Amino acid sequence: MIIRAITLIFGTFILYVLQTGLFSSFSLAGVVPDLLMILVVSTGYMHGRIRAMITGLLCGFFIDCCYGNVIGVFPIFYIIVGNFSGFANKIYDDEDHMTPILLTAAGELLYNIMFFIVFYLLQGRTNLSFYIYRITIPKIVYTVLVSIILYRILRLINNFLLRFDKTEE
Amino acid sequence: MKPKIKNKPRKKIVINPKIVFWGLTVFCVILIVVSYRFSEVFSPVKNVIGSVVAPMQKGINDLGDYFENKAEHFSNMDKLIEENRELREQIDDLKNTNQILNQEKYELSYYRELYNLDALYDQYDKVAAKVISKDPNSYSGEFIIDKGENDGILKDMNVLAGNGLVGIVTETGSNWARIRTIIDDASKVSGMFLKTSDTCIVSGDLELIDKGYINVSQISLNAQIYDNYEVVTSYISDKYLPGILVGYVSDIGVDPTKLSQQCKLTPVVDFEHIDAVLIITQLREQYDGISEVFRSDN
Repeated sequence: MIIRAITLIFGTFILYVLQTGLFSSFSLAGVVPDLLMILVVSTGYMHGRIRAMITGLLCGFFIDCCYGNVIGVFPIFYIIVGNFSGFANKIYDDEDHMTPILLTAAGELLYNIMFFIVFYLLQGRTNLSFYIYRITIPKIVYTVLVSIILYRILRLINNFLLRFDKTEE
Repeated sequence: MKPKIKNKPRKKIVINPKIVFWGLTVFCVILIVVSYRFSEVFSPVKNVIGSVVAPMQKGINDLGDYFENKAEHFSNMDKLIEENRELREQIDDLKNTNQILNQEKYELSYYRELYNLDALYDQYDKVAAKVISKDPNSYSGEFIIDKGENDGILKDMNVLAGNGLVGIVTETGSNWARIRTIIDDASKVSGMFLKTSDTCIVSGDLELIDKGYINVSQISLNAQIYDNYEVVTSYISDKYLPGILVGYVSDIGVDPTKLSQQCKLTPVVDFEHIDAVLIITQLREQYDGISEVFRSDN
């Protein structure tokens, strides 16, 4: 359990640094892939709702600490996505690589809708078509592409950690 | 402790996820309220996380640059040779112009003395910094640099890239600082047309910048302005130092209220590929203080 917690904090930290730091070399059409979203959704798929929500809280907290004017907005976004992705834990299959990718796309869409409502609609910006065409679609496509690789890595780490879980029990 | 675990199989605590969900949500809402009302409470936390993240981001950024450079290195050989030739020609050209400009500089300094324009912005002290991370949510127009309070960066300092205005420092940590660019929706800069001295407001627009523009509004109806006029920061701004180039205007027209003119502005800074910036380590208030002294001296 402790090992998992440490891995989670470190994983979140590394993915956050990667997501914000590698922008200059890896951004396509002005967007960067949402690595934290992949982490949250994969955790939900592999471990269920509670862990996904805790991961989401951490992810959002990192973003808010560096970029938010108030702390707590992004954690809510990620917690909601984590909560919903956690339902998919019931159909978890170790060999299934397709479901988490679809879940990532759905999660990213949900996240973007919430982001649009809070940061666009409530600030009087209503240009939905621009938002969808220029931000949402590129971001979903890019995140899904990256999730194909990243999910495999996360699954490997998970299976590796399963050994520790067994020895602990 | 140990025998307890051995005797009975570890009791699994079952928590209803629903409760966790609502609990965390309420926790976040409280966080939002607290951090909004008392923003100082969280500034040490932000500072610590920022200081830990900043060097790592810097490292990763360098790594990314390295790979990018390597990739370019192999693909652009021919292009580089061609470019090199062109640049050499340009250098000869520039040398020539430089000489002429140097001669004119003497004249200019003489005229400046006459006009008392002692504090022009090429004389401000500047600190160079690298952009190490951008907001993970695309199109917010904010980024973080690798210099902070330790290097003398303070809130409200002006940021340049090349010879154009990038934005302003909005938050600082010990080794990082957050910058809001002029293209951000929340940004409003008090500007001035260099040729006619008419004032205007330059406001960021993340949708328009996609086409390479931002908005300029509240220009007097009497202002005689034309395309490609330069806009610089104005003397009446309380945060921006005067005379910093912002960009060139186009698409001039009367705004919907028919009370003022509006136009579009092409910033001189390329915000998409910005990776290094200069921070002027002089605040507007200090500048005003200095110019007061100058005025009273003369």
